Amino acid sequence: MKKKAYIKADEAETSMGVFKGLEVRIGQIIDDEWDEPMGPTPMPGPTTLRSWDHKLLTKYTASYMPYCQVCCLCTMGKCDLSGDKRGACGLDMRGQQGRIVLAAANIGCSAHLAHSRHLIDYLIEEYGPRTRLIQGPGTEIHAPVSRLVTGMRPRTLEDASIILDYCETQLAHTLSATSTGQEGSWMDFESKVFHVGMIDQLSMEIADLAQVSTLGMPQADPDAPLVESGIGMIDTNKAVILTIGHNIIPAASITDYVTEKGLYDQVEVGGMCCTAWDMTRRDQKAKVIGPISWQLRYVRSGQADVVVVDEQCVRTDIVSEAKKVSTPVISTSDKAVMGLPDRSDDPVDSIIEELVSGKIPGAYISDHHKVGIIATRVALAVKPARRRKRFFPSAKKIQQLAQDCKKCMECVRACPNDQNVQEAVLAAQTGNMELLREVYNNCIGCVRCESACPNDYALHSWMAAVSQDSFKNETHVVRTGRGAVQDTEIRRVGQPIVFGEIPGIVAHVGCANYPGGGKDVHDMAEEFAKRRFIIVTSGCAAISAGHVKDENGQSIYERRSGEFDAGCVVNMGSCVANSHIAGAAIKIAAIFAKRNLRGNYAEIADYIHNRVGAVGISWGAMSQKAVAIAAGFWRLGVPVIVGPHGSKYRRMFLGRADRDRDWIVYDARTGERMYTAPGPEHLFYAAETVAEANVLTAKLCIRPNDTAKGRSIKLSHYVDLHERYMGFFPEDVWKYIRRNNDIPITLKDKILAQMKENKWKERPIPDPTMLKEQIFTGGEK
Amino acid sequence: MMRATPWQTGEICGPDAAKALTKAAQLKRDWRKTKKPLMIVGSQAPSIKHGRGDMVDYSIELSKAAKIPIVATGGAVKAFIERGFEDAKSMGAMELVGYLQDPTWKGPHGKGPHDMILTHSMQYYMEWTLLSGVMNFARHIVPVSLSRFYQPHATWSMPNLKEKNYRDLLKEILEFLGGSK
Repeated sequence: MKKKAYIKADEAETSMGVFKGLEVRIGQIIDDEWDEPMGPTPMPGPTTLRSWDHKLLTKYTASYMPYCQVCCLCTMGKCDLSGDKRGACGLDMRGQQGRIVLAAANIGCSAHLAHSRHLIDYLIEEYGPRTRLIQGPGTEIHAPVSRLVTGMRPRTLEDASIILDYCETQLAHTLSATSTGQEGSWMDFESKVFHVGMIDQLSMEIADLAQVSTLGMPQADPDAPLVESGIGMIDTNKAVILTIGHNIIPAASITDYVTEKGLYDQVEVGGMCCTAWDMTRRDQKAKVIGPISWQLRYVRSGQADVVVVDEQCVRTDIVSEAKKVSTPVISTSDKAVMGLPDRSDDPVDSIIEELVSGKIPGAYISDHHKVGIIATRVALAVKPARRRKRFFPSAKKIQQLAQDCKKCMECVRACPNDQNVQEAVLAAQTGNMELLREVYNNCIGCVRCESACPNDYALHSWMAAVSQDSFKNETHVVRTGRGAVQDTEIRRVGQPIVFGEIPGIVAHVGCANYPGGGKDVHDMAEEFAKRRFIIVTSGCAAISAGHVKDENGQSIYERRSGEFDAGCVVNMGSCVANSHIAGAAIKIAAIFAKRNLRGNYAEIADYIHNRVGAVGISWGAMSQKAVAIAAGFWRLGVPVIVGPHGSKYRRMFLGRADRDRDWIVYDARTGERMYTAPGPEHLFYAAETVAEANVLTAKLCIRPNDTAKGRSIKLSHYVDLHERYMGFFPEDVWKYIRRNNDIPITLKDKILAQMKENKWKERPIPDPTMLKEQIFTGGEK
Repeated sequence: MMRATPWQTGEICGPDAAKALTKAAQLKRDWRKTKKPLMIVGSQAPSIKHGRGDMVDYSIELSKAAKIPIVATGGAVKAFIERGFEDAKSMGAMELVGYLQDPTWKGPHGKGPHDMILTHSMQYYMEWTLLSGVMNFARHIVPVSLSRFYQPHATWSMPNLKEKNYRDLLKEILEFLGGSK
């Protein structure tokens, strides 16, 4: 593999003279130490894997649900695309929808990729380009996504930079395809969605690999530390620094400063969203406060003495919100400057003085080394006066204000979860705050109700104000992110997963746009952990899963193992650690089946799709990043379920269980085309309820390669969940029976009757592949 | 004609938008033409009150009176079974969007292809997206929303009615569809 050579010297003495700050990049050098043969598609371009994508997109048709029927992206429009009309550029409605999804996936990928680039550039600057990348003990196959996609095994930060060069090129290509007059076919738009999803996964792997290698985070550690989580865990006797976002570097500057100065007895550092995970991965005195949708309730509580934002998922009105409670804001990322004055180059003392005095509401500080000292000193300085203030209105004040409610229902109409905010306000008129508390429990903190209210009620603050007891009870213990899965763990579970005896890997990932509170995530994870599935979590979903206590007061992470095995609940880490979930599936192919990974994407995706019963669930998926993450899994053939709000992604990938030809694979041993069952039935699906999601999760773990024992176990779970949630024995079980020994013994009578009624015939179990080139006989019968 | 606006104010669409359904008789022409209707009942049916019962009871009554087969989504089928109504089938809302786009699909009961759907009792935004898929890509189907709040992607939809007016209109629709064919 070719790589660039890079030399940096603070001072170099040569025959030509003395050079200061010398940096030299010399062409490329060959990595000839890796004996794994290069596969067919190293560093694929946008169309290199098109044939694989089209196979998936033929099996799982894109079902679009447009927001509107017009396109307004160029000045030839607006164009009406309703019916069979085409726009002035020639694009039809399906093409336009594919284009919009591609734009969203590009946006999402760009956020992860830019984050990754920032990390790599920063870490190279700090530690040098030759700094080793170490995923942890027992990870001989480190960086599996990088190996698979690029054919490189990144061993240094410089290698990581080369991979990001590739990612940036691909992102430019896929984004350019959305320009007017470029791509025209919905299927090719979707193929590029897959491509940019794969690039997203790669850039996330690079980001996490780099930070795990250099910043003292757990390295593939099943015993990653337990840390404190929840608003109630924050000690307000101390000065409180709230960090929000996804980029560890500014937050690390804070925890390092607090540690170095021995200030943890005076300062609390808490995080929201992925910064919380990454911060606690390297410093267990830091705390997780909550998922991203808790931002406003916490900021408005006034508990935070300073808010430090980095990038992604930060509320864009954070400065005006913090200003309402006189909390200074420090923005640290060029992606989210938030209108603040750039004070990066100013003396620390003058910045602190202006922030403490309130002369400026906040400051943009791009020099991360300064962030820690400024945030800490400001928090300590403003804390005493702030603790004397009350930020939420009293119940009496709420009752008084509520009297003027116009009963216009605009708050309800604005609520994405259709919560009856007005009824809660009317109840508050009588001093009954119970309904406001109920709304608080299901609230995602969007505050659209407030924007809509003609009285300008601070409705979200009211909900939070009357729920302060809930604040105090938010005291949880969660396991912070472990990073990658070890090869030894894969070695232990690879066979039972591929044969179906461990019925599946279920990943709860993503944002906190829940239809009915975060408890659903916990309940779904527990349901399947109890059934000995492997449960992995990441991001805000990982926080929500941990914010429920059992009867012994323990969180799911306290009572379940962090080792990647049946019945576990494993927190991988922040969003970028999603790449390790894909990595685990990829490593199953390498370790259990001894497949080469190097530049060998289609073969491995085909292997995973047909053999590894993995399902991703993003119950509160909200962002474009979630689209990009999902797309990375789609290209690997891994189905993804989202919550009901996910229907607003406007496109599902649906299989047709009633169309037998869609479920035909090659038997790799003979080349024969064989019918398998509809499994996995869909590739992307928004479930309306937890009930539907649970039944579907069990069903989507079915794979053509299951052994009889594995199939029987998977069907038992499917039937059990279906009977419990739907109230009847599922009518399609017979389709999944290949031979009599697939039948779960306890369900034999019912299934045999179904088989008879449907004229079932025995069929062989293939060595399944969708790729002709994988047939051992070379495609010849 | 009354001009209706989407219940969730940001959920605007267009240029096509549903006509406001304020009287059952407005359905006369489309109902007369339809041969194979299908009622899609969402997961909220057991929790939406109607008369002395709920929308599950109403659906059963309408199904029997107007001979409309029911497919329940999101697990709502359980409530039908518990009430002894065995004819309801179960599918996912998003699955239905996909299947309905196929003009040859026989439907969950094998009685299709369907030429009209009547939807209700789903999360507002999910009914919205389901109907969008049907409106744009299943143009052989006339989508009618029987939900209380305006669904712009239907052909006919109620224009954000007060609760009492909604109940009255549902009753009128039951009588009209149940007796007019």
